[in-house]
Amino acid sequence: MPVPIILPKFGFTLETATIVQWLRREGDTVRAGDPICEVTTDKVNMEVEAPEAGTLYNLLYEAGTEVPVTHVIAYLLRPGEARPERLPSLSAPEPAAGPEPDGARGASVTPIARRVAEAQHVDLRGVQGSGPNGRIMRRDVELARVAETGKVRATPAARRLARQHGIDLSAISGSGPRGRIQGTDVQAALQAQPASAKAAETPHDERQLTAPVQPGDMPKIVKLAGMRRTIATRLQHSFQTAPHIFLEVQIDASGIEALRERLRARNERLSVTSILVKACAWALLRHPWLNATFDNDEVSLWPTVNIGVAVALDEGLVVPVIHHVERLSLHEIQAISDGLAERARNNMLHINDVMDGTFTISNLGMYGIDRFTAIINPPQVAILAVGRIARQFVPDEQDRPVLRPLMNLMLSADHRVVDGVNAANFLADLKAALEEPSLLAW
Amino acid sequence: MNTRLPVDAIQRYHDLIESLGPDFLKEMLQTMHTIRAFEERAEQLYSLGKTHGTMHLSIGQEATAVGACNAMEDGDYLLNHHRGHGHCLAWGSDVKRMMAEFIGKETGYCRGRGGSMHIADVEANNLGANGIVAGGVPIAAGVGLSIKMRKTSQVCLVIFGDGAANEGAFHESLNMAAIWKLPVVYLCENNQYAMSMPYQKAFTIENISERASAYNIPGVTVDGNDVLAVFQAVSEAAARARRGEGPSLIEAKTYRYKGHSKSDKQAYRTRDEVNQWMEERDPIMRYAALLTTAGVIDETEASAMRETAVATIDRAVEFAEASPWPDVATILEGVYA
Amino acid sequence: MRELTYAEALREGLRQAMQADPCVFLIGEDIGVYGGAFGVTAGLIGEFGAERVIDTPISEAGIAGACIGAALTGMRPVGEIQFMDFVTLSMEQLVLQAAKVRFMFGGKASVPMVMRMPGGSGTGAAAQHSESLENWFVHVPGLKVVMPSNAYDAKGLLLASIDDPNPVIFIEHKLLYKTKGDVPEAPYRLPLSKTHVARAGRDVTVVATSVMVSRALQAADELAKEGIELEVIDPRTLKPLDDEPIIESARKTGRLLVVHEACETGGFGGEIVARVAGSEAFDYLEAPIKRLAGLDIPIPYNRDLEYQTVPQVESIIREARKLARNEY
Repeated sequence: MPVPIILPKFGFTLETATIVQWLRREGDTVRAGDPICEVTTDKVNMEVEAPEAGTLYNLLYEAGTEVPVTHVIAYLLRPGEARPERLPSLSAPEPAAGPEPDGARGASVTPIARRVAEAQHVDLRGVQGSGPNGRIMRRDVELARVAETGKVRATPAARRLARQHGIDLSAISGSGPRGRIQGTDVQAALQAQPASAKAAETPHDERQLTAPVQPGDMPKIVKLAGMRRTIATRLQHSFQTAPHIFLEVQIDASGIEALRERLRARNERLSVTSILVKACAWALLRHPWLNATFDNDEVSLWPTVNIGVAVALDEGLVVPVIHHVERLSLHEIQAISDGLAERARNNMLHINDVMDGTFTISNLGMYGIDRFTAIINPPQVAILAVGRIARQFVPDEQDRPVLRPLMNLMLSADHRVVDGVNAANFLADLKAALEEPSLLAW
Repeated sequence: MNTRLPVDAIQRYHDLIESLGPDFLKEMLQTMHTIRAFEERAEQLYSLGKTHGTMHLSIGQEATAVGACNAMEDGDYLLNHHRGHGHCLAWGSDVKRMMAEFIGKETGYCRGRGGSMHIADVEANNLGANGIVAGGVPIAAGVGLSIKMRKTSQVCLVIFGDGAANEGAFHESLNMAAIWKLPVVYLCENNQYAMSMPYQKAFTIENISERASAYNIPGVTVDGNDVLAVFQAVSEAAARARRGEGPSLIEAKTYRYKGHSKSDKQAYRTRDEVNQWMEERDPIMRYAALLTTAGVIDETEASAMRETAVATIDRAVEFAEASPWPDVATILEGVYA
Repeated sequence: MRELTYAEALREGLRQAMQADPCVFLIGEDIGVYGGAFGVTAGLIGEFGAERVIDTPISEAGIAGACIGAALTGMRPVGEIQFMDFVTLSMEQLVLQAAKVRFMFGGKASVPMVMRMPGGSGTGAAAQHSESLENWFVHVPGLKVVMPSNAYDAKGLLLASIDDPNPVIFIEHKLLYKTKGDVPEAPYRLPLSKTHVARAGRDVTVVATSVMVSRALQAADELAKEGIELEVIDPRTLKPLDDEPIIESARKTGRLLVVHEACETGGFGGEIVARVAGSEAFDYLEAPIKRLAGLDIPIPYNRDLEYQTVPQVESIIREARKLARNEY
């Protein structure tokens, strides 16, 4: 009996793959494990190998054809076997466990779609397939279910996030049991551009191939990958839509240095950033329009100050948030900040660590930067860019030159919400608190 | 049952009458009238729709309540049962506050939360009526234990009915009080019926007081409609307890004129039986006759007591009706200390 | 810090309470000369005498009534019901008298008593000596219900319960008596109605009571090796319940598992689930809330059946893992 060569299901959610090219021809002798065909999925190129030694014959699909997984794509004659009289024809393939034609108008159904339909009690006959030849894909079943019941299976967390971000749940594929949409699925969806669909939703889209990856070079899934990409995408969006105004002040950091010195003498470590966090919170409580988020014409004035501190990692920028800064002492801020930085470095940030920020601080001082402008982190309305502390000569009361440690702060604010005067007043208070840290006890 | 003319009674109680004195004796008769007037008015208020729930009237049982409670001293404790308005009044509670509680007003002894079956006057060491038959009986042992541990000379009087004597907890309590010699007076107010269950069908013994011997404590049966008989028996038992000689069981045989509660059609007894007790053995009538014959009061004074009682109740009802209802905003109060 | 067993910690608590306040006394079956069926009161009669460590006949209703009467009149009794199962014989007194006296009397009078009792299975004592009836008492307004899960908690909660002016049902667990823990020598109190986070974690909230707390902690240690971090919460006091830390935790992790020994239907777990599902934590749930509780059967005698009837470390691991992996 000829041995069927099946297109393997390379990934759990994989439904189809496209043949890139046949590496061997009809009639070739192959050994077990020889690659005979190269296929591509939406992510990656894979090779199909000969399951055993034999002669290749009856290559069923041409290059460029999209084939459902688990379908037979070719046959192998075992050594000594003769070709059968009647070749299996293309029009009626014998799949090992392929789609059976029982969808609407006889369209075929992928195995996953069938499973989901069974689990969710969807009648396949009523489902419109969006795959090739009206083939019913998983997404089609899920949409049909929504249409039938008007209800999507989603966790409360997913619903909340969808509500908050104006996302249509029916457009999301669920990774939970029985296709349930989890909060993490919604988060992953947030990284998509509004106009185009994600690769996982529509595997049948025409996609340009990225640089070919070697088989076995599967990407490592990093838990917060989606989130970091989200931030990047949204920063771009922010810069393009929010009219930024920039205001700068120069701070005399003597007060800060004195405080740190005093604590150092007690073997306590307090970073400049922590003092900045506290001082910003102090000033933000007095200028609530800078402690706000802006979305869809609505300004949310937050009762608590949740300050994000940008942390640079190899893979990109993360902004873990310290919540309720107004309630925290410098000591507590330092501890929380250290903890967040640690988790960030070890890729262990939790969704709660990066949510609900109302203001962001980005400090490039330790990289030797004197001053810089930062892009606002949406949906916040302001961000503070901090430069290094450098000794400079300034005139004293008698106009004599004295050396003082100076630090430049640049505030970027969303001019749709924040006026120059608001921003200036905020900075004035911030400057006052940083130059006289004892004010923070007020 | 002693139904003969008071002459015998006068002879029997001669010394007692002497020692108690006219004021005390008259006070007891007045209290009996007050109790009856209270109960009659309670019934009336109920039929006018002014009270909620049900009530258990003790009309006909005034002698037991008054005789027993007056035999106790200041500082002693009382635990009684669901048919307990009389005990409460006899213990010296304020009629106005009792009536207010009965109607469910904020000014009642229990701020309207307890009602008829749970009236308590904690400051006066009246630890409450009880809606559970024999509910207070085990508690009485605890009170006795507490008295003994605190080494005071207090005594606990617990009043319960014939029905309670068949509850398991009754036996547990008597046994404990007996083995530890607790200062408790167990007074069984046997009104012949536990709701609809006649005494004869629920007991194989003639007198409940016989059960005392099972616990090796003194037990005595008295005429519950003879206020001085009850007074004497309870006084003796209390004195015994105060001397550290432990508990006693007293059975006071009496009779209730009205049904068990308001919903009782009284199919279990005859009209004749009721009438016989009312006409021939009425406790107020007997005691009044005794006192008039003994020359402690005259007829006019005796009948005036009835009017005084009614007037007292009138004032109590006025007070109660004028009092405020409990504020719903305070509904959660009083659950935890 | 020295180690004491749970039983020793209770004994020390009783002793210290009795030393500090002459109104505190003990009453129960076989607590004096015998030292208590589980040895908790051993030696106390020698120290305090038979007047303060009172052996009673087999009269649970009487014991309860004695506690109530004494508590109403100035004393602070600590009663013992030998096995929780037998508390059923004193239900009328506890439920209709102790719990209600204060309320029925309009807020006057109080019943400052503690009724201790060992509950739970695992000793082969079978159906009538292995009950977990705590939820019966949770359901009665006026009572407080406390379940210490370890030696340290046992002493602190006992002293707090004795101080409390309300009737407290104090439920120990037979299997915990011999477990050890660090117990400070000086008297100390752990506040009632204050839920305790026994272990912090970000992936699954596990609320457990009594012996299930240590099982949950063991499960947490195992699951940590798989990168699953459990947050284990011990209410300590079931009634009145401090539910805020539980709601906050469920909101944080999005996944909740409630574990108790008592059989599932009508058990305390339902109370926790209802409170969380009805709270703001609902919007943060990523999985259905799950209960892991005893089977709805009387406790069987056979050792293996008995073991399988109630949650064990393995079953807690299994359920928590499923929740963490979105398999529910």
